[in-house]
Amino acid sequence: MSCIEVHSLSKSYSSILAVDTIDLSVESGQVFGFLGPNGAGKSTVIKLLTTLIQPDSGQISVLGVNAIKEPLKIRKKIGVVLQQPSYEPTLSVEKSLEKYGMMWNVDKKTRQIRTEELLESFELTQIRKKKNEDLSIGQRRRVQVAREFMHDMDLLFLDEPTVGLDPSARRKLLDFLKNKVKDTGMTIFYTTHVLTEAEYLCDNIAIINNGKIITVDSPNELKNRFGNEKTIKIHVSEQFIQLPNLLKDIPDCNIEKSDGIIITIHSTNSEIVLMNILKILNQNNIPISDLSAMPTNLEEIFLKVVSDSDASNN
Amino acid sequence: MHPIIRLVNRNITISVNPGFLIWQVIFPLIYIFVAGFAYTALIDNVPFGNKDLTYPAFLASGMIGFNIMNSTLVSGIIIWNDRRHGMFEQIMSGPFTRVHYILSNIATIAIIGLVSAGLIAAVGYPVFFESVEFSPVTIPLIIFSSITGAILFGSIASIISTRLRSSEGFNVIINTVFLFFAFVSTAFYPASGAPQPLATIFYLNPLTYLVDIIRAGIFGTITEFVILEMVILAVLASILFIIATRLLTKLDF
Ligand SMILES: Nc1ncnc2c1ncn2[C@@H]1O[C@H](COP(=O)(O)OP(=O)(O)O)[C@@H](O)[C@H]1O
Ligand SMILES: [Mg+2]
Repeated sequence: MSCIEVHSLSKSYSSILAVDTIDLSVESGQVFGFLGPNGAGKSTVIKLLTTLIQPDSGQISVLGVNAIKEPLKIRKKIGVVLQQPSYEPTLSVEKSLEKYGMMWNVDKKTRQIRTEELLESFELTQIRKKKNEDLSIGQRRRVQVAREFMHDMDLLFLDEPTVGLDPSARRKLLDFLKNKVKDTGMTIFYTTHVLTEAEYLCDNIAIINNGKIITVDSPNELKNRFGNEKTIKIHVSEQFIQLPNLLKDIPDCNIEKSDGIIITIHSTNSEIVLMNILKILNQNNIPISDLSAMPTNLEEIFLKVVSDSDASNN
Repeated sequence: MHPIIRLVNRNITISVNPGFLIWQVIFPLIYIFVAGFAYTALIDNVPFGNKDLTYPAFLASGMIGFNIMNSTLVSGIIIWNDRRHGMFEQIMSGPFTRVHYILSNIATIAIIGLVSAGLIAAVGYPVFFESVEFSPVTIPLIIFSSITGAILFGSIASIISTRLRSSEGFNVIINTVFLFFAFVSTAFYPASGAPQPLATIFYLNPLTYLVDIIRAGIFGTITEFVILEMVILAVLASILFIIATRLLTKLDF
């Protein structure tokens, strides 16, 4: 079943076209990643989908409901963690969870149970009595995300929820989200500018840049499509400025950069290329101190896709 | 539970704290007793309608109006804080509408105004009991005042809180505006004792109307003029409420 359907969606702020005729379809029961650099339009899309702002044009359907005609009906069934921090400064951590559940009309008993569970899962037990205004940014962010799980929902929007979290809290949150999706069958729409996160968490990833969706695929497919290639790194013992010249005639060998000591090469035919490189280095008596051939990682694909799309815009 | 009730619950939880109680209840009570009796030597009995009120009785009844006005600060502070701490957006992305939000704020301050007015009336009762003339309209008039006053001054506080961006600004401006209302009104001293131009300005001030109506209720002196004041107050409250609602619905994210 389709959970989010978007057609030719556009939104501009005075002179800036923040979202540019986007089409998007998100299936239920998965974590859908929305990946893009700062200013790409991720938050604007979230605000449109959560009915906080109105589009200039286009159609939005969320959980089968028209977002422009019946926004409240959608908001009753979704959860939202916006990029901007939000908290009740004078309430304690546990009280703010409890009150948030009350605002969502969760019955008292369930509220108590969930508060305890979430304090535990988000490692907030130690600071449960602390007021929100006295928390660190990372602690506050954890409360903000935990709070959203006080109520039931079919679809959760998370806008860069891990910003401000340390690596261990980050990993814990990602695992918590994965398990929620598995246990409840809910859908998560997750924005991030960190590719490793999207790769770890998401079933599908849309890459957005300059308000346009460039590509949508699973992490593996993205790797296959862009990443049949490998990155070869050669580290020679002494600086040898002529190195790129020696290697440039090998077929299928794209030299990315070289400083005469380390040379980075992309190739979709890495084994043959590697053999040729070794032969040439051997013939020229150039000793190698290190050599590696790795699948190009998603980070590099991401950077490449984004910079290609920037280039085609100009 | 209705969404508005849930928001009122939350509003009251975040607004009622010791500092607020001292400012809203303890301070006015001390003021009635200390100032009321200290100034009795300076200010004679105050003619009100066909009655002569002692100054403490006059002051205590005025304090109820002042308190209703003051309790609407809560609404401005809630809106202000909600915007500053991201809760406005958060609530608006949840199972609520802007109308729910606005009405819950009005209901919150009406409740706080009514309760603190009731407390002051109860504790101040010994001060003005000689002149009190309970009638069937006493309670309705106090409720009318609390609600109309809550909407009127609450709208003013909301308008200011939606117009401001700087964090310092809100408290300074709202306190200046409310202090001005308080001292250029008949809440603390009678218009009859003030010089003519000032007495006229008193009647350009909604707080004067509010305390007149409350006094009329407590001391049983309802005149045609008081009814006119009720109409003016209600019309003014409606206009300000519409403006406040417009501004709040236009706030973007
Ligand atoms: N309220 C706003 N007013 C004006 N411009 C905005 C506003 N919100 C976002 N923008 C602009 O829209 C573009 C997309 O922003 P945003 O959706 O926040 O990007 P992201 O979340 O991907 O970093 C940016 O150029 C940003 O400056
Ligand atoms: Mg953003």
